[in-house]
Amino acid sequence: MSGARADKGGSVSWLTRARAALRGVREWWDSASGPVRWSVYLLLIVGAVLLPADAVGNVMSPDSNWADLLFFPIGGYILLAIGLNVVVGQAGLLDLGYVAFFAIGGYTMAILGEKVGWSFWEILPVGIVVAALSGVILGAPTLRLRGDYLAIVTLGFGEIIRITARNTPAIGGPNGISGIPHPPTLTDWSIPDVEPFTSLGLGGLAPFEYGVLDARPYYYLMLAAIIVAIVFVVRLNRSRVGRAWAAIREDEDAAELMGVPTFKFKLAAFAIGAAIGGSAGVLYGAQVTSLNPAHFEFMVSALILAAVVLGGAGNLPGVILGAFIVAWLPERFRELKDYRMLFFGLALVLMMALRPEGLLPSRRRKAELEEGTGGMGGLGAGVAGPDGDPHEVKAEVAG
Amino acid sequence: MLLELADVHVHYGKIAAIRGLSLEVGEGEIVTLIGANGAGKTTTLKTVSGLRPLSRGRIVFDGRDISRMPGHKRVLAGIGQSPEGRGVFPGMTVADNLAMGAYARRGDTSKELAEVYELFPRLAERKDQLGGTMSGGEQQMLAIGRALMARPKVLLLDEPSMGLAPMLVQQIFSIIVEINRRGTTVLLVEQNAAQALQVAHRAYVLETGRIVKSAPAADLLDDPQVRAAYLGGAADAPITADPE
Repeated sequence: MSGARADKGGSVSWLTRARAALRGVREWWDSASGPVRWSVYLLLIVGAVLLPADAVGNVMSPDSNWADLLFFPIGGYILLAIGLNVVVGQAGLLDLGYVAFFAIGGYTMAILGEKVGWSFWEILPVGIVVAALSGVILGAPTLRLRGDYLAIVTLGFGEIIRITARNTPAIGGPNGISGIPHPPTLTDWSIPDVEPFTSLGLGGLAPFEYGVLDARPYYYLMLAAIIVAIVFVVRLNRSRVGRAWAAIREDEDAAELMGVPTFKFKLAAFAIGAAIGGSAGVLYGAQVTSLNPAHFEFMVSALILAAVVLGGAGNLPGVILGAFIVAWLPERFRELKDYRMLFFGLALVLMMALRPEGLLPSRRRKAELEEGTGGMGGLGAGVAGPDGDPHEVKAEVAG
Repeated sequence: MLLELADVHVHYGKIAAIRGLSLEVGEGEIVTLIGANGAGKTTTLKTVSGLRPLSRGRIVFDGRDISRMPGHKRVLAGIGQSPEGRGVFPGMTVADNLAMGAYARRGDTSKELAEVYELFPRLAERKDQLGGTMSGGEQQMLAIGRALMARPKVLLLDEPSMGLAPMLVQQIFSIIVEINRRGTTVLLVEQNAAQALQVAHRAYVLETGRIVKSAPAADLLDDPQVRAAYLGGAADAPITADPE
């Protein structure tokens, strides 16, 4: 009995210490100057480039190919989580069918690549545009709904896309499409096989040659996409658009009263989130060479949402960390065989119990949660705009 | 008339919340709308600011029919609202909340900001505090100040006294009078009828979605029916009679 209590006390003080350390890092970062910040960004990118090294892989995934994992699910989930974070974390809209946009990107790559014969570089922008358009098509009729109602509709959309793909023989039905071309090689330049690259296991690697066996060039492609997405999303968040999203997330009615065209900005969040999801789909399709509807189960939507919430919705470093954990933990637990999903679930529950606001929440997010608003919708009934049909929404309590 | 509602009907699904409501607010007035819980006061304000669609009738503001104008455009037309429950952005600082108030406007807003800080010195002291961590009274000040940032012609106030200590209520009401004295028309919705009738020029009494009475505010203060129903006359009787 007393042993258990002492143990508990120990873990609490460990947590407090970790929290204090985190706060210290954050304060240092807030006061860091421009050049310092840029050096940190550069270090992070160098670190990400060296990540496929053998030494890292031996620790991170002794049971499976580390480079494969880095491309997907780790890299793929991170890119998807960045996209879903625009919708959930920034605009505060709960989307349970995000996998649909991933599927649309993947199928665009598969159809245009295998059936039409376009190259990856031509398909990438098309896939992004198609996904963004489908985001608008889904959003236009549904974004008048709020909270849980929107969640249900998006959940349905995710399933519709997958089931449609399964039942359309022209795109392979349940067998999907195989023989999707790899991206053309950009240059066959390879990293010289000298120290330190040899001992890192990166010697002789041709990072821009997209073959069948080596996943590392694809990882670098994914990394580039992630960096572009981060820059885009961060810049957006600091603009008028970002302020409008924050206002919508915190109090949609008040945002409208401030003159924010809330519907337009919600639609923009949906389209941008969809575009990023679509880009992840195109990249994924180009690597796996064969995809089918089973790759786009609801589970993917749920995991990406878990990544966003677990990491700290709205805070990009947190979301990236969350995606990494969600993608990596089940692989790391592979030695537990059949029990690995059990442990994965346990890890998620523990993390949410200890840090309900996410691993790295934004300070602002904490204030919103204490107020009971922000993100995941208000879980309240929908309220129609002035041009909406008053009969399409459920009654709400009003004075 | 600056603001005119003519035979306005509002529905929540099939339930009628407002049934043929007509009211007028003249430039420079303080008009109050009093009534019990669920009478439709908040719905009326939401319909004026565009958060609720109306199913019948007409809203004319400043000579224009705005019945179908989306809410975010009504801000630019000159309608400002401090919503029910204040609607302060909890994760934004006081300064950011006020900046959001001027979101629809372009150009320099430092004059309005200075005026808001002058009206509410408390907000100036707490510029960098997060909206969600402030007290109820401070949040109410912030909500009113934020609405003023858009330089509205008419300010809609939804229950500014709700949940506030009596001293704060006094303070908020005297600021409302001051805002009106500086030239902003005010449409005030209140459950605290006694206070509202003391500051308003005219008043409407709302019952189950209809106007049942309209008169100068001072007259309603003396009206026996209104006293009984809203000023705690007869309403207190059962409680005081109880011990005997």
